[in-house]
Amino acid sequence: MMELLQFSLCFFGFNCFALAKFNHFRDVFKKKLNEKQRSSFLFSGWISILLSLVLCVLSDAGYGALLFCGYMALSVLMLMILYSFTVSWVKHVSVLTMSVLLLSGFSVMIL
Amino acid sequence: MKESFFRSMTWLHTWVGLLVCWLLFLIFFAGTISFFKDEITIWAKPETHHVQHQAQRVQSQAEQINYVFPQLQQQAPNSLSWRINLPEPRNPVLSYGFAEPKQPGQRRAPFNYTHLDPNTLEQIPEPRETKGGNFFYRLHFDLHYIDVFTARIIVCLASLFMLVALITGIVIHKRIFKDMFSFRANKGSRSWLDAHNVSSVLALPFHIMITYTGIITLIFMLFPYPAETVYENGLRQMFDEALPINKRAKPSEEQRPMVAIKDVLDQIYTKSPNADISYVFVRNANTATSQIVVYLATGKEVVDNGPRYLFNGVTGELEASSGEDWSASAQFYDSMTALHSGRLAEPLLRWLYFFCGVAGCAMIATGCIMWAKRLRERLKADQKPSFGLKLVETLNLATLMGLPLATSAFFIANRLLPIELAGRADKEIFVFFLTWLAMLIVAVIGREKRHWRYSAWLNAAACLLVPVVNALTTDGNWITYLLTQQWALFGIDSAFICAGLLFLLQSKKIPSHKTATNKAKLNKNKLLKEQQG
Repeated sequence: MMELLQFSLCFFGFNCFALAKFNHFRDVFKKKLNEKQRSSFLFSGWISILLSLVLCVLSDAGYGALLFCGYMALSVLMLMILYSFTVSWVKHVSVLTMSVLLLSGFSVMIL
Repeated sequence: MKESFFRSMTWLHTWVGLLVCWLLFLIFFAGTISFFKDEITIWAKPETHHVQHQAQRVQSQAEQINYVFPQLQQQAPNSLSWRINLPEPRNPVLSYGFAEPKQPGQRRAPFNYTHLDPNTLEQIPEPRETKGGNFFYRLHFDLHYIDVFTARIIVCLASLFMLVALITGIVIHKRIFKDMFSFRANKGSRSWLDAHNVSSVLALPFHIMITYTGIITLIFMLFPYPAETVYENGLRQMFDEALPINKRAKPSEEQRPMVAIKDVLDQIYTKSPNADISYVFVRNANTATSQIVVYLATGKEVVDNGPRYLFNGVTGELEASSGEDWSASAQFYDSMTALHSGRLAEPLLRWLYFFCGVAGCAMIATGCIMWAKRLRERLKADQKPSFGLKLVETLNLATLMGLPLATSAFFIANRLLPIELAGRADKEIFVFFLTWLAMLIVAVIGREKRHWRYSAWLNAAACLLVPVVNALTTDGNWITYLLTQQWALFGIDSAFICAGLLFLLQSKKIPSHKTATNKAKLNKNKLLKEQQG
C-alpha cells in the first residue's frame, strides 16, 4: 500500500505540473488558466512530489530513491499519453488519482 | 557567442550520438533484457519449471548446505573449486557444482552442476544446455565473438560518447519542462523529435545514472595506469589490498582434510542469526590452502555485494570479511555497480528499471531514425541519396528491427533445437546472430517503408510465436503460469505478447504505398473542391 501511496503522490504532482501549463489546462477545461490557479497547481505539485520522495527515502533509503526515479518516469509517460491522445479522460483520471491517493494514505495510516 | 555555443552543442550531440547509436542500441537493448537475466534462464530451462519456491527458504539453508557438502566431497574431492547456489526468491532451484580441468583456450574452468529440488533434496533432470539470460548479460559488455578486453574498451568508449550526447542533449533542449508532456502525432519529423525528447526526458535520471555507473563499473579498463604505477602487480594487487576477501590462495599439492562445514555455518549464524546465504564457494578443496567463502544476500541495501566471509578451509578460522570495514571509495564503487546492475531490485523496481531501459532504447532508436528522415526530407526530387544516408538507413533497419527479431529467434531456438545437440548453447547464440545477419541482408537490399512494414510483421509473428512454441513444447503455457502463479514465466510470455502487439500496431501505422496514394488522392480532391468552392 505504501508503494501505491508513493506512486499516486508522484503521479498527482506531475499531473498538477501539467495542468499548470496554459495549453494543457485549456485542452482539459476549455478555458484560460489564470495566474492564481497556476500558482496553486505548481504549489500542490511540488508538495506532492516532495512528499512522495520523502516517503520513498524514509521507507527504503537509497533503494527508495531509485524507486522514486522509476515512479517519475512512469508518471510522465502516462501523463504524456493522457494529454496527447486522450485529453478528455484527464478529469476522470485526476479524480481517480485523488481517490487512490486518499485511500492508500488512510490504509498506510491505519495499518 | 550564445548562438554559436548552441550550434556547437547541437553538432556535438548529433555526431557523437550518430557515430555509436547502433552499438549503443545493442548495449541498451541487451542491458535492458539482462535486468531479467535470472528469469530468462529459468524460462530457458523447462526441466526446472515444476520446482516450487520454498515457504521456509532461509530456515532450510543450513540443512541444504550440510546435505550438499558430502556430495561434493564424494564427487570431486580434488577439484580447484566447488560452488553451492542456494535457492533465491528469483530462482527456486538448489544447485551445486565443481570445476573441471580447464581445456586449452578456455578462459574459465567449466563447471559441472547438479540440480536439486530444495523441497525434497531429490535430483531433477539435467536441464538443457543453454546460456539463457546470461547470454544477453555478457552481450551487453562483452559483445560476443570479440576479444573480451577489446569489447569492453569499445563499450567504455561508446558509454563515454553516450554521456556526452546526454549532456549536450540537455543543453540544446530548450523546452525541457515546457514540452515535458507534449507529443504531437502525425507531424513527420516533428513527431520523431517529440518522441526522442519525451523518451529522453521521462527517464533522464535513469539514463544519466545508468550511463555514468556503466562507465564507473569499467573505469579500471579506461584508467588502469594509477593502479599499475602504484602497485607492483597492478590491478590484481590493488583489488587484493582493497578487498582482502578476494585474495585467492595458491593451489597446493599437500592434501589436508577440510573442516566440518557445520563449524563454519555456526560462526556465520553467531555473527548474523537471520543470515540469508546466497552461495558458498570453496577453493582448493582438501588441500593445505583450501578456503571457504560464504556470500550473504544484499537485502535492500544499495550494494552489489552483500556481506562475505572467508574461512580457512582446514582450520575453519575466519580470515577476512567484507562489507564491514570497507573504505569510502570501495563502498562508493560497489554501490555504483549495484545501481548499474540492478541486482538489488525486487520485482517492482526491476520492472521500473526495465521500463526505463525500454525508454532508453526508444531514445536511441528515434534519434537514429530522425537523422535519416531529416536528411531524406532535404533531398530534392531529382537528387539521389548519398552513401552515408543509405548506410545509416541500412543500419537503422538492420539494428532496430533485427535485434528484436534475433531475440525472438533465440527464444524459439531454445525450445526447438534438439536437446542432445552438441554445443547446444552456442547453437542458440548462432541462431541469434544468423537472424540478425538475415535482417542486415534484407536492409542492404531495401530500406523503403514497405521493408519496415514487413519486418514489423515478421517481428510481431516471431514475438507471438514464442509463447505458442513454448506451450507446444513444454507442459506449461501462459494461462497455467498465471493460474500456478509462476510469475517469472508468465512475465516473459506476457512481455512477448505485448511486444508482438506493439509490432502489429507499428506495421499498421507505417503507411503502405496503397494507403499513401489514397491519402494523396483524397488531399488532391479536397484541394480541388476548395478551389471550386
